[in-house]
Amino acid sequence: MTLKKRLLATTAAVLVATAGAVFADAHATHPVTGEALASDQTFTYRVGDESPSIDPGLVEDVDGAAVVRDLFEGLYNQDAAGNLVPGVALSHAVSDDGLIYTFTLRDNAMWSNGDTVTAGDFVYAWQRAASPALASPYSWYIELMSIENGAAVIAGDMEPSTLGVTAIDDTTLEVRLSQPLPYFPQMLTHGTTFPVHQATVEEFGNDWVLPENMVSNGAYVLTEFVPQERLVRERNPMYWDNDNTIIERVVKLVVPDENVALTRYLAGELDMTDVPAGQFPRLSAQYPDQAVSVPEACSYYYMFNLRDGASPEIQDPNVRKALSLAIDRDIIVNNVLAGGQKAAYTFTHWATAGFETPDIPMATMTQADRNAMAVELLTEAGYGSDNPLSIDLVYNTNDSHRSVAIAISQMWKQTLGVDTTLANQEWQTFLEARSNGDFEVARGGWCADYNEASTFLDLMQSESGYNDSRYVNAEVDALLAEAKTSANPQANYDRVEEFIAQDTPIIPIYHYAAVDMFAENLEGWPYENFEQTWYSKDLYKIAE
Amino acid sequence: MMLPNRAAVEGIAENMQLADVKGRSLWADARTRFLRNRAAVISLIMLCAVAGFALFGGLVAQYEGDFVNFSLIGSNAYLGVPSIETGHYFGTDSNGRDLFARTVQGTGISLMVGVVGALVAVIVGTLYGATAGYYGGRIDGIMMRIVDVLMSIPFMFVLILMLVIFGRSIFMLFLGIGLISWLDMARIARGQTLTIKNKEFVEVAVATGVRPIRIILRHIVPNLLGIVIVYATLLVPNMIIFESFISFLGLGVQEPATSLGALINEGSRTMQFGYYWQIAFPLFFFVITIFAFFFVGDGLRDALDPKDR
Amino acid sequence: MLSFVFRRLAVAVPTLLILVVLSFVLMYAAPGGPFNSERPLPPEVLANIEAKYGLDQPFWKQIVNYVSGVVTGFDFGPSFQYKDRSVNDVIAQGFPVTLTYGFWSFVVAVTVGVSLGVAAAIKQNSWVDYFAVGVSIGAQVLPNFVMAPLLLLVFTLWLGWLPGGGWNGGQWQFLIMPVIALSTSYMASIARITRSSMLEVLNTNFIRTARAKGLPMRRVIWKHAMKPTMLPVLSYLGPAFVGMITGSVIIDVFFSTGGIGQFFVNSAFNRDYSVIMGITILVGTLTILFNLLVDVLYAWIDPKIRY
Repeated sequence: MTLKKRLLATTAAVLVATAGAVFADAHATHPVTGEALASDQTFTYRVGDESPSIDPGLVEDVDGAAVVRDLFEGLYNQDAAGNLVPGVALSHAVSDDGLIYTFTLRDNAMWSNGDTVTAGDFVYAWQRAASPALASPYSWYIELMSIENGAAVIAGDMEPSTLGVTAIDDTTLEVRLSQPLPYFPQMLTHGTTFPVHQATVEEFGNDWVLPENMVSNGAYVLTEFVPQERLVRERNPMYWDNDNTIIERVVKLVVPDENVALTRYLAGELDMTDVPAGQFPRLSAQYPDQAVSVPEACSYYYMFNLRDGASPEIQDPNVRKALSLAIDRDIIVNNVLAGGQKAAYTFTHWATAGFETPDIPMATMTQADRNAMAVELLTEAGYGSDNPLSIDLVYNTNDSHRSVAIAISQMWKQTLGVDTTLANQEWQTFLEARSNGDFEVARGGWCADYNEASTFLDLMQSESGYNDSRYVNAEVDALLAEAKTSANPQANYDRVEEFIAQDTPIIPIYHYAAVDMFAENLEGWPYENFEQTWYSKDLYKIAE
Repeated sequence: MMLPNRAAVEGIAENMQLADVKGRSLWADARTRFLRNRAAVISLIMLCAVAGFALFGGLVAQYEGDFVNFSLIGSNAYLGVPSIETGHYFGTDSNGRDLFARTVQGTGISLMVGVVGALVAVIVGTLYGATAGYYGGRIDGIMMRIVDVLMSIPFMFVLILMLVIFGRSIFMLFLGIGLISWLDMARIARGQTLTIKNKEFVEVAVATGVRPIRIILRHIVPNLLGIVIVYATLLVPNMIIFESFISFLGLGVQEPATSLGALINEGSRTMQFGYYWQIAFPLFFFVITIFAFFFVGDGLRDALDPKDR
Repeated sequence: MLSFVFRRLAVAVPTLLILVVLSFVLMYAAPGGPFNSERPLPPEVLANIEAKYGLDQPFWKQIVNYVSGVVTGFDFGPSFQYKDRSVNDVIAQGFPVTLTYGFWSFVVAVTVGVSLGVAAAIKQNSWVDYFAVGVSIGAQVLPNFVMAPLLLLVFTLWLGWLPGGGWNGGQWQFLIMPVIALSTSYMASIARITRSSMLEVLNTNFIRTARAKGLPMRRVIWKHAMKPTMLPVLSYLGPAFVGMITGSVIIDVFFSTGGIGQFFVNSAFNRDYSVIMGITILVGTLTILFNLLVDVLYAWIDPKIRY
C-alpha cells in the first residue's frame, strides 16, 4: 500500500466508524415511515452456492447479481415496484430515430477511493464486458442491448474501442444502437452494464475483486470474501446517497442444504432463507409474518422430444394431450409443492406484465372430465391395458423435481395405465441429453429474461436455440414474428398458447412462486418486484 | 471408507494352514466355537430375519412400493403416520408412498449392494493376489506395484467422477465399490499364496503338469477360503455404509427403486418437521443389519482364529 | 530405511501421473462441459471463453500444458467456474479449513478410540467393556449425514449453544460439531481395532511373563503392551485419513465450512476441470505421503520389519 492509499483507507475506516456511530442515533427512526429502527442493522441471508463471479463484467447468476447491485451502481436502479429510478444517470434523451441515447450523469457519484465516477468509467466497463480478452459468459448481453458493433466486437472482428458508446464529457454518455430498442433503459439495471474502476482493474488483474483491492461505487463496499462460506459488504461512506442507507452490514452466507439453512434461520442466525418444498403451509401457520410467497417469473413444464427419429409413440398429438390432461396440477401445486405456486395451463407465467391468460378449454374442466378425456384419447390412439404405453421421463437431480416426477408418473399410471421409467440425471448430463434430443419426456423450467410474454413464447419458435422439443410450426413462427412489431400482441400470444394446448409440444405444469422466510423485523423488501431485484440499501430493520 | 483391518484378518490365514494337516476337523471346530459365541449367533439369526424381511416382507405389504397416495403427499405428509388400520405399517414417505413396502425394497437393495460389492472385491482380489503369489518373481513384482499405485489413488473421488460421468446405475456402483476394496484382499491373498505354493500338494500338481490356472483355481483358492469368508463378512456392512454415502450425494439408485441409504437420507431431511417415522424405520433396519454383520464377522474371525481368545 | 523412502517417493511420481491422466480422461468423457448452461451460449461467446482457457487446443496438448504448468510453476490454472479465482486460490482457501477440522477429528478419533479400546480390553467382559463396544458400534452405524443434522437440531436450534455453521476463521465454537460428526465413526473403528489387538497382546507370553514378575498392570500396559497393540491401529490410520478427507464433503454441506470437499463435489457437477484436477492431485499426494508416514512409523515401532 502506498502512503497515500493507506491514508485514504484510514480516513475511510474512521469515516465508517463515525458514520456508523452517528447514524445509529440519528436514524433511530426511519426517515420516511418514522418506524423505530433496530440498533443492529446487519442483514444476513442465505444462498445455496457460491456465485461464479462478482465482477460486474463477468457476473452471470442471480445471487452474484444481487451482490454486484450492492457493490456497484449502474445508470439506473429499480424501485420496489420495478420502475426505473436514477442511479449514476439522472436522465437521458433519445434521438428521434431511437438509435442514440444520451445520458446525463450526476456529478456527485464517487468511487470508494474518492475518485469521481465518470462517463469514461462506463465506456471502459462496457468495452471490457464485450471484449474477447475478458471472455465473459455474459458478453452476449451487450449484443442483446443492440449496441452498435456489439456483435462484431464479441466475435473479435472489431476492436472493443469501436463499440457504440462514447464519453462526450465526464457527465455525458452517448450510446448508439444498431436498431431501436424500446426497453433499452430497462436493461441498464443489469450488472453487466455497471461501471468498473479502470485503474484498479488494470493494476490487479483478476485479483481486483478481492476485498483489499476492490474499488466500487455502490452503496456498499466489499470487506470480506471467503468463497463457499461468506461474503460481507459494509456501508460505503463515499456513496452519494449514503445518508439514506440504513443497513450497515450485509452478510451473504453459503449454506448448501436448505433444511440446515432453515434450522439456522429458526435459531436466529439468518434474516432470510428459502422454504423447502412442501413446508410452506406448516411454516406459514406457525410464523404467519415470516413465511412469504410471491410470484416468480418462471414456468415449470415437461417437454416432449419431437425430433425425427425420436420414439414414435409420442409423435401422436393425442397421446401427448392425454398425458397432459391426466396430470392433476392442483395436487402438484397444493400438495407436493404447496408454496403458492399456480397450476399452469399456459406456458406464459400468469403474472407477466401486459399478459392476459387466454381461455384454454382444459383449464376450466374438472379433473374427472380431464381424466375421462385423457383415457378416451389414449384409447383412440390404440393404447390400453393390453397394449400399455411406456414413457421415459428424465429430470435433473433435485428433491422437488423428484417429488413432482414421482407424482406425475403415478398420475399417468393410475389414470392411464402408462408405465413411466424415471431417470434422474445430474445437471450437466441432463443438459447434454436434452439439447442432443436424447430423451422422450424431459423436465424444463424457464425464467423470464424480461417482463413480457415473448420471453416465454419465443421458445416455441422453430429456430430458437432453447426449443429443446424441436417443435416446428410455421403458423406459430409467423404469429411470433408479427408480435414483435405489433402494437397489441396479446391476440397473437393467445393463438400461440392455443397451439401449445392443442399440439402439446410441452406440458405446462405450474408457474413458480418464490417462497422465503423473512425475519419479522426486516422491512423494505420489494415483494412486488416480479424480477426480485432487491437492493440492500432499501432494506431496514425495525426495533422489536 | 473403512475396510476391515488387514492385520486382524491375516491371523486367520495362518491358522487355516493347519487345515491341510488336520483335514476337515478345523471347520467342525470353528463351527463349535462360533455357536458358543452368543452375540454372533444372535446376530446371525437377526441377519436371517432381516433377509427374510427383505424377501417376504412384500407379501405382507398392503401397497406397492411405488404407489402414491395423493392425499398423503407433501404438505399432508403428517397424515401418513404409521398405522395398522390404514395398512401403512411404517407410515408413508413424503411422496405419499407406503414406507413399509419401500423399506422392504430398500433393505433388499442395500443387502444386495453389500453382498455383491463384497463378492466383486473378494473374487477379484483373491484371483489377482493368488495369481501374483503363484507366479512370483517379476510378474509378482509388477502386479503388486500396480496395487501399490492404485492404493494411493483417492478412489472415492474417482468414483464420484465416474458416477457423475457415466450416469448412475447399479452396475456402476458395484464396479466402483469393487474397485475400491479389492486391493487389500489382493495383498492378503498373495501373502498366503506364497506359503501355500510350497506345500506338497501344489508341488505334486506342478510336477504332474497341471496348468497354472487350474492349480490356482483348484488348489490355492480353496485354501484361502477361510480368510476370504471372514474378510467378505466384514466388508459387507462397509459396502452398505458406502452405498448410503453415495445415495446422500444423490448418485444412488434410480427412483422408484430405493435403498436404505436413500430412505435414511430422505428421512433425515424431514425429521426436523416431526415426521420421525420416515427416518426411524429405515434407520432401524440399517443399524441392525450392520450390527449383525459386524458381530457375525467378528464371530467368524474368532472361530477361525482361536488364539485370539 | 532411507532407500525405502526414496523408492516409495519415486513410485509416487508415476502414480500421480496415472491419477492425472485418469482424471483427465474421465472428465473429458463426461457429458457436458464447464460452460454449458440451461441457456446455451452463443457460439462466438463460447469460442472466446474456450480460447481464454485453452480448451480449443487438442486433447494431448491440454494435458501437456497442464502437467508442465503444475511441474514448473506449481500452477494449477484458473478455475472455470469461479472466474475470479485460480485453482491455487481455491485450494489455499479451502484446504486449511479441511485440514484444521480434519486434524482435530483425527486427534479426537485416535485418542478417544484408543482409550476406549484399551479400557475395554483391560476390563474385558465388564460393564466398561460392554459400554465401550456399544458406544463404538453405535457410533459406527449412525451415518454422518444423519448425525450432522441431528447435532444441528440439538445444539443450535434446541439448546442454542453452538452456531449452526460457517467457519469464521476456525474459532472453536465453529469447530465442535464438524469434529464430532467427522470423528465418531473413525473413533469407533479405532476403538474396536485397539480392543481386539490389545486382547491379543495381553495373551502373549511376554506380557504374561511381565505380569508374573509382579510388574504393576499400568506399567505393563504402557511399557510393553502399548507398542504392539498400536500396529494394527497404525495400519488403519491411512484409510482413516483418506476417509476423513472424503468425509469432508458431508461436513462442508451441513456445516457450511467451505472446505475442499464442497469445492470438489461442486466442481465435479459443474465440470470445473481444473479444480477437480487440482484437488484430486492434492488428495492423491497427501494419501501417498500419509501412507508412507504410516509405513515409516510401523517400521519404527516394529523392529522386525525391514524395508
